Amino acid sequence: MSDVRPYLWLIPALPLTAAAITGVFGPRLLRRHSHWPCILAGAGACVVAVLTCLAVYQDIAASEHSQPQQVRVYYEWIRVGDPGAGRGIEVGFGLNADALSAMMVLVVTFVGTLIAIYSVGYMHDDEGYARFFAEVSLFLFMMTTLVLADNFVLLYLGWEGVGLCSYLLIGFWFTKPAAAAAARKAFLVTRIGDMGLLLGILLLWSRFGHYLDYQHIFDNVQSAHKAGTLDYGLLTTACLLLLCGAVGKSAQFPLHVWLPDAMEGPTPVSALIHAATMVTAGVYLVARCTPLFALAPDAQVIVASLGALSALLTALIALTQNDLKRVLAYSTISQLGYMFLALGSGVRSGSEAFVTFAVLAALFHLFTHAFFKALLFLSAGSVMHAMGNVIDMRRFGGLRKVLPQTHWTFLCGGAALAGFPLLSGFWSKDEILDAAWTAGLHAEQYRGWYLVLWLVGLLTAGLTAFYTFRAYFMTFWGEERIPQEAFEHPHGHAAHGGTPRLESPPVMTVPLMVLAVFAVGVGLVLGPTHLFGHFVAHTPDLPEYEAEVPNYFMMVISSLVALAGIATAWWMYVRQPDLPARLAKSAQGLYQLSLNKFHIDELYEAFLLAPLAGFTTFIRIFDLYVLDSLVDLTGQLFRWLGLRFRPVQNGLVQFYALAMVLGLTVFLIALLLKL
Amino acid sequence: MPQLLLLLLALPLATALLVALLGPGRTLAVRWVSLFSALASLLLATVISISFAIARTWEAPAVDITKGTLTFDSDWIKYKTRENLLPLHTTADGTVDSAIQFYVGIDGLNIWLILLTAVLMLTCVLVSWTAITQRVHEFHAWLFVLQLGMTGVFASFDVILFYVFFELTLVPLFFVIGIWGGPQRQYAARKFFIYTLAGSLLTLLGVIGLVLVLPQVEADHDPGQSHRLTFAIPELIARVGTLNRELFQEVKQLEQAPADMEANLQQARAQLNYWRHVQLWVFVAMMCGFAVKVPMVPLHTWLPLAHVEAPTAGSVLLAGILLKLGTYGFLRLSVPLAPDASLRFGVPVLGTLAVVGIIYGAFCSLGQDDIKKLVAYSSVSHLGLCMLGLFALNEVGLTGSLLQMINHGLSTGALFLLVGMLYERYHTRKMADYGGMGARLHLLAVFMVFITLSSIGLPGLNGFLGELLALAGMYDFAGSQVQGSLLAGLGASGVVLGAWYMLTMVRQVFCGPLKEPPHQGHEPITDLNGRELAALLPIAGLCLALGIFPKPFFDTVRPEIQVVARIAEAARKRAEKDAFGHELQTSTIHRFARNGLSLAAKGGERK
Repeated sequence: MSDVRPYLWLIPALPLTAAAITGVFGPRLLRRHSHWPCILAGAGACVVAVLTCLAVYQDIAASEHSQPQQVRVYYEWIRVGDPGAGRGIEVGFGLNADALSAMMVLVVTFVGTLIAIYSVGYMHDDEGYARFFAEVSLFLFMMTTLVLADNFVLLYLGWEGVGLCSYLLIGFWFTKPAAAAAARKAFLVTRIGDMGLLLGILLLWSRFGHYLDYQHIFDNVQSAHKAGTLDYGLLTTACLLLLCGAVGKSAQFPLHVWLPDAMEGPTPVSALIHAATMVTAGVYLVARCTPLFALAPDAQVIVASLGALSALLTALIALTQNDLKRVLAYSTISQLGYMFLALGSGVRSGSEAFVTFAVLAALFHLFTHAFFKALLFLSAGSVMHAMGNVIDMRRFGGLRKVLPQTHWTFLCGGAALAGFPLLSGFWSKDEILDAAWTAGLHAEQYRGWYLVLWLVGLLTAGLTAFYTFRAYFMTFWGEERIPQEAFEHPHGHAAHGGTPRLESPPVMTVPLMVLAVFAVGVGLVLGPTHLFGHFVAHTPDLPEYEAEVPNYFMMVISSLVALAGIATAWWMYVRQPDLPARLAKSAQGLYQLSLNKFHIDELYEAFLLAPLAGFTTFIRIFDLYVLDSLVDLTGQLFRWLGLRFRPVQNGLVQFYALAMVLGLTVFLIALLLKL
Repeated sequence: MPQLLLLLLALPLATALLVALLGPGRTLAVRWVSLFSALASLLLATVISISFAIARTWEAPAVDITKGTLTFDSDWIKYKTRENLLPLHTTADGTVDSAIQFYVGIDGLNIWLILLTAVLMLTCVLVSWTAITQRVHEFHAWLFVLQLGMTGVFASFDVILFYVFFELTLVPLFFVIGIWGGPQRQYAARKFFIYTLAGSLLTLLGVIGLVLVLPQVEADHDPGQSHRLTFAIPELIARVGTLNRELFQEVKQLEQAPADMEANLQQARAQLNYWRHVQLWVFVAMMCGFAVKVPMVPLHTWLPLAHVEAPTAGSVLLAGILLKLGTYGFLRLSVPLAPDASLRFGVPVLGTLAVVGIIYGAFCSLGQDDIKKLVAYSSVSHLGLCMLGLFALNEVGLTGSLLQMINHGLSTGALFLLVGMLYERYHTRKMADYGGMGARLHLLAVFMVFITLSSIGLPGLNGFLGELLALAGMYDFAGSQVQGSLLAGLGASGVVLGAWYMLTMVRQVFCGPLKEPPHQGHEPITDLNGRELAALLPIAGLCLALGIFPKPFFDTVRPEIQVVARIAEAARKRAEKDAFGHELQTSTIHRFARNGLSLAAKGGERK
């Protein structure tokens, strides 16, 4: 088989072409066929991605111990100054296919294509049908560019680009005030993080040899580390600035507030952008920069702590939410927190290999999470589609007979998320807990703290199982309740007579089933066999890695915790349906705290936005009445001076003569004195 | 073919005369003549810039600018014309050796600004098609005089010519605002005129001071030679550079010399010190005019007023081109003519003011309810970034700054166009009056979002590159005068704040439930028409082209930017090696004044 990697540019180029075609011809020409360019481009890119993965795998197999060749496709973009002499900036559209990028691009294109197919059914009678697919195609372009980029500036292009697409797609129904507000909030909150990312990139450029591509920066840092000339404080600062970007994009505490609101967008968008792909960009960034983070244990412990805190906090919030999509959104933040916990655990603990192990745990969870969370969102979308856009779980119930296919796919996704033994979430979550545990036992610094974080992770695992199955039982079990909107909605097909068929059309359920298969099986196939680890570990710049013995102790513990969570949910929402209400009443304070998301939005409003609004008003008034008045006063001053001198021009010749004589006298005296 | 550039200057002048002569009756003829003239200018400017860019891309690597004196090497100026206007001194054999000249040319620093002027002029004529109904011929005549002035400033290589064109831009804009403006037009026009005139008079003072004092200092240093007056910018820069180097080297050599040379050392130091103070005062004087024009906070208060009152075409040119006269002045004159003062005084003072401007302008924008005022204040913020890059004084920052000038001209020009188009439809600029316009005006909303993205620096569009390079340049600032990374870090907050006010505006006006202000007339409001599209499309196209294929821009500006960067770098090296202090001597100012006066007197005698 010939090597496809010289054609790597096809992966971003196909969706870009699709976006351009759909954007220009969609509304007038393609109309109801606007999905074809997007789906075809996605599928094409996916094929190239699969072939790329195979090619990378062949390289790995061929040379067991040496690093595989990277293939770069390069086109000059920015060239200012004298980059060769280390005094300028040089950036190209350089694409790079190493194992990490190949894995990411495979996930993005595969899940993206399935979701595009699903959207054909979900969006079928929307006014902005063409616009939707144009924006999804643009997103695929930006996301693939982000993960294939071989330098920080191109990554930043993709990074901002996916932010833009997220903005456009959250605000897809822009006439809804909530959607418009959510879109702006998402863009602005992530931009705060992006500012940090940009500064981090500039710092790396300015202080580590004026390069912007990963390879040179990593090499420079590595060689400085070996030579003992590395400024660790500076490196830690750089890592923390990069982390800012990751925290914003991956919706981690304290910048997590935009993601739940982003659920105002169409559900396929929530699945694609806000669950499976874009939000994992932060994890990808930190994983990509492992060579930097591994040398900055102080940054790593912050990564892990933020991850654990986000995981726990949002899991607690998810316990009481009634909006099905928001439960899933909070669970996304929580799972991303897990990934950061794993990444942050990658500190040197005896051997360098452990760093790679921790990063692999995070990436494996990213991989499995993409499938099961996309599946859960799409299933939730299917429920929403059938229920006439009602998503409040209190308004429907017992749907497992009404929506049989959706029920099964949701169950698969939910069980995988909960970490049900042998499903994909189980394997990846287990590795993360193992990583935190190992760091807690062997890390060179902060050992005790990592054990605390491990405990938080374990607790969160139980909570995850509980809230996932709470949502599942509330939606699909109990007494059958269907809101009125379901029958008013055109999807009800009640017009054909007979009992209304609420289940979604095959164009939506088939992608669900494909994803369900992956959600169930992908962990078992790739995890314990070390296929995934072996593949991704061959990313250049990751320290050498040996497959570790499975930690059976951890498996047993995490299984027990997951099963306990599921059982509790079953007990509370199927066996004793009135128990939750009583519990809520008896622990009113805690319940309200969780229901109101720990009031974080309100805190920001009170302590950040309100003072800023006050400051804005102050500046506006200061500018108008103080600064400008000063200018006018200066003008008035000259006017006043002129008025004072006006009497001098009185038109009396005698007065002028007198003035001349006096002046001449003064001049003469001065001259005489000087002589 | 120097005629091309002369044609580019003559065309607006001829059009202005022709349009004025056409008289008040023939409105349609005036519009079509203007349109054709603007198109012809654009064509000319495009031909010039493309031929220049092609020449640069293929020939540039052959030039080694490390050799020879640091100047905008006159061989590299394309299409130059150099004619004596006012001979001041003639040698014995009858050749004029010092004169105020009509000296114009094209180089890397001005080529893109000249092209930008032509692009924006075309959109201005198009957008005035229905917006201006009173005294149409006068309006267009003033518009073309303005084009002459703006193109002239950029093309000038003689300081006096530069100043003449610089002031020439004030007159037409004064009338454009004062006659065709909003309710407060006369107050706004007067304020704009007097404020900028007051500033630029000081600039003239500084320029003349330098021209007069330079030969005097050269004569003090090297009495053997005759040192003539010159007004040509390239020559001034070369001579300032030589003087800087020689005075400094002399001090350094004498410091190594035996102790009996102490007297010489003292004298050399005094000379150097004096020359540095001359530079400082020249810099400060020039700064006064340019800083008002940019405008730097706190000298910006004329700007929002002038923008709000000006008709759309006036706002577009004011934001797009006229503000660049200030930054261009810093780049072309202040930094190369007073490099040591730029480093010691300009970087800390203007660098700090630039950061203040970025943040202050952004918060002012946030607080506005008038869309046009919001855009006007955003200019303050964006030009703060431009100044930040400029006073990084390295190649990356300077390139970013120049790019940012073009970017701001395109994106803010387009924003004013769009606001004008909204205003023409609904006769209100209050954001609160609008809502959900995206559902009514699809194309206008698409363009508004696109230009907003360019303005807030989305990678792939032009704004990002300017931002990145300006911030990177300041981050990399090598001297000890300021903490570059701190300034860049603070300046980067513009990335967030810019997105904040622009997206708030987009959300308020274009999103949410439809809320249409009442409009006059019974015809329904329609989306953009062909004429408006023709005004917007070139700008949008350039935004995208510059964002993904900026190579021609970088290649074209490189040689001259490198000249400025090397001048500044030399100043930085001198500052590093400088052991002795920089204390202000009271006699310095006196000596400065005396030298200037005596030279002026000598000039008079020669007559």
